[in-house]
Amino acid sequence: MKYCDKCKISINTNNNYCPLCQQVLEGEQNKGVIEKYPEYVSINRKIYPLTKRIILFVTIVSIIILLIINLATFNGKWWSLIPIGSTFYFWVLISVGVFSKQNIAFKLAFLTSLLIGLLVLIDQATLQEGWSYNYIMPLLLFTCNLAISGIILIKRIDYRDYILYLLTIVILSLVPIILLFVKVISEPWPAIMAFALAVSILLFIIFFFPKSIKDEIKKRFHA
Amino acid sequence: MNKESSYDTWFRLDNSGKIFPEVSNHRETNVFRVAVSLTEVIDKDLLQLAVDAILARYPMFKVKLKKGLFWSYFDYNSKPFHVEELKHYVCGEINPKKNNGYLFRVMYRNQDIVIEMFHSLADGAGVIMLLKAITYEYLVLTGKDIKPDNLVPTKNQRPSMEEYEDANSKFYDRKNRKHVPEQRAYRIKGTPLAEDLTGLISGNMSTQAMINLARENGLTLTEYFAALMMYTIYVTQIQYRGHIKSNQAPVKIFVPVNLRKHFPSNTLRNFSNFVKSNLVMTKDDITFEELKILVKEQFEKGMTKSELIRKMSENVAFEKNVFLRFTPYILKKYALKIGYNMLGMKLNTMSLTNIGKVDFPESMEPYVVDVTAAVYAGKYNTLNCSVISFRDRLKVTFTRSIVETTIEREFFRHFTNLGFDIEVESNYVEEY
Ligand SMILES: [Zn+2]
Repeated sequence: MKYCDKCKISINTNNNYCPLCQQVLEGEQNKGVIEKYPEYVSINRKIYPLTKRIILFVTIVSIIILLIINLATFNGKWWSLIPIGSTFYFWVLISVGVFSKQNIAFKLAFLTSLLIGLLVLIDQATLQEGWSYNYIMPLLLFTCNLAISGIILIKRIDYRDYILYLLTIVILSLVPIILLFVKVISEPWPAIMAFALAVSILLFIIFFFPKSIKDEIKKRFHA
Repeated sequence: MNKESSYDTWFRLDNSGKIFPEVSNHRETNVFRVAVSLTEVIDKDLLQLAVDAILARYPMFKVKLKKGLFWSYFDYNSKPFHVEELKHYVCGEINPKKNNGYLFRVMYRNQDIVIEMFHSLADGAGVIMLLKAITYEYLVLTGKDIKPDNLVPTKNQRPSMEEYEDANSKFYDRKNRKHVPEQRAYRIKGTPLAEDLTGLISGNMSTQAMINLARENGLTLTEYFAALMMYTIYVTQIQYRGHIKSNQAPVKIFVPVNLRKHFPSNTLRNFSNFVKSNLVMTKDDITFEELKILVKEQFEKGMTKSELIRKMSENVAFEKNVFLRFTPYILKKYALKIGYNMLGMKLNTMSLTNIGKVDFPESMEPYVVDVTAAVYAGKYNTLNCSVISFRDRLKVTFTRSIVETTIEREFFRHFTNLGFDIEVESNYVEEY
């Protein structure tokens, strides 16, 4: 025990001064004392890596150059959206798909929806051939549905966390069939495929996990 | 409790818990700590086993925070919980990403078991219960022959619904929920510590001697400490400087009140309220004597049943507001954040939390050395104080986000000048 004669307090420490008044403590140096609190370990501050900065810089500069060229030679088509959209998607894919700690069903649902949105945009901005909603949208939704339900079947334990995202994609899969009815889509088979899978998954959940849907809705929507 | 039903477990955030997720960050962490020192060095593996057993029994702690459309909620957490070695952080931010989503930590160092918890999940009484339960289970695992004596909940008891209830809304009175506007409080000045570090200084005193001293003054221990805190702040920061604008705000000591002692409830979740002392200290001749009288009067007034119910109802009223209720969470989040930043944390100069006496069963007492409590210190409350006691060892712990220790020094010197013995502990943050 050491002692501060100004504060008249005793303290058990290897340090030489009083924590209250910074004065030198009395009492013999006793090296064996185990400090009550651990020593400082410096925090590993996340340094924004230089490579990431360089890539980000190059990306932004190329996007600006592409936009300028597109505008300077404007012929009614936003062709620059194709490289810009791909670059943007690449960034999201890396940050959400690889580095984020979100659950995998969210990643799949989010990245699929974003990709569909971007491709529809590119389709509209270029030749407006309708390939995005005729083929890409239903087929991507189909694949995503298959992937999430596959993961749920394999990793049964966490299905409650995934079910909301599965439901989102199932509901989105109804969009192509609606578009087919209003004649926006001309190619029926991809839309019907996506719809059929979505309905089967929905029925499967309702028949085999009725409680989990109810629970999930109750949790997410309580007011 | 069988495994399948745990997966269905989810809880609404209780009334006071709702605000914390929106307003917490690395500076305002809203984390508090309780710790117990045992007579032997802690075995990490046994501690892990003890925590696992207790978590299985207390589903309300085995949760993660998730977002819903209107409110966030606690959802069952299926991931494993890991005990950690104690680092230098004191009540640092609980980052769910680093902790499998859990909202509390259990740490060990030498003879100490330390729990740090995010305030959304529980209050002081809830976390003390958790600490007792884990300590008991740990000592059983090390082969000690101890009995719970109804003082410690054990892993074999079944959870009761009462432990999860949001007791605040149970006592809600719509006729007594008037909002009383408050003035911004004086803020303790100092040089901020680097890197969001937190300084910690405890003083160990004799419980009986302190209670006697307060009694001789006709006060409770909390009242005595609060009055002394006001006086110390006054002497070190404000006296003869009353003409400075920033010194003209009232000094307010925020003292949490454990409502379980005033209203029937055994909830483990947040069920506390507060009383405050409040005085503009610009005069040059304020004495400790007059502060004692003032604090006693203000605390007694704040502690009446109707005033406690009013404060509870005032809080509950906002979540019963139909308009706010059905605002999507994303927007509500910002509304809460703005409201709280404008007022909430700026309404207090410092908080003084008295957890009170921790009772361990008689058979457990020989294995326990002492207990510690601490709350985070942030940008606005740059100094906070917690008091906790075990047998005749009363520990007053100051946590600070500033370099200066003048208030702590004057506070403890008050007692040593009266002839009381104090043994100090410090994390020596200034050495970092
Ligand atoms: Zn000293």
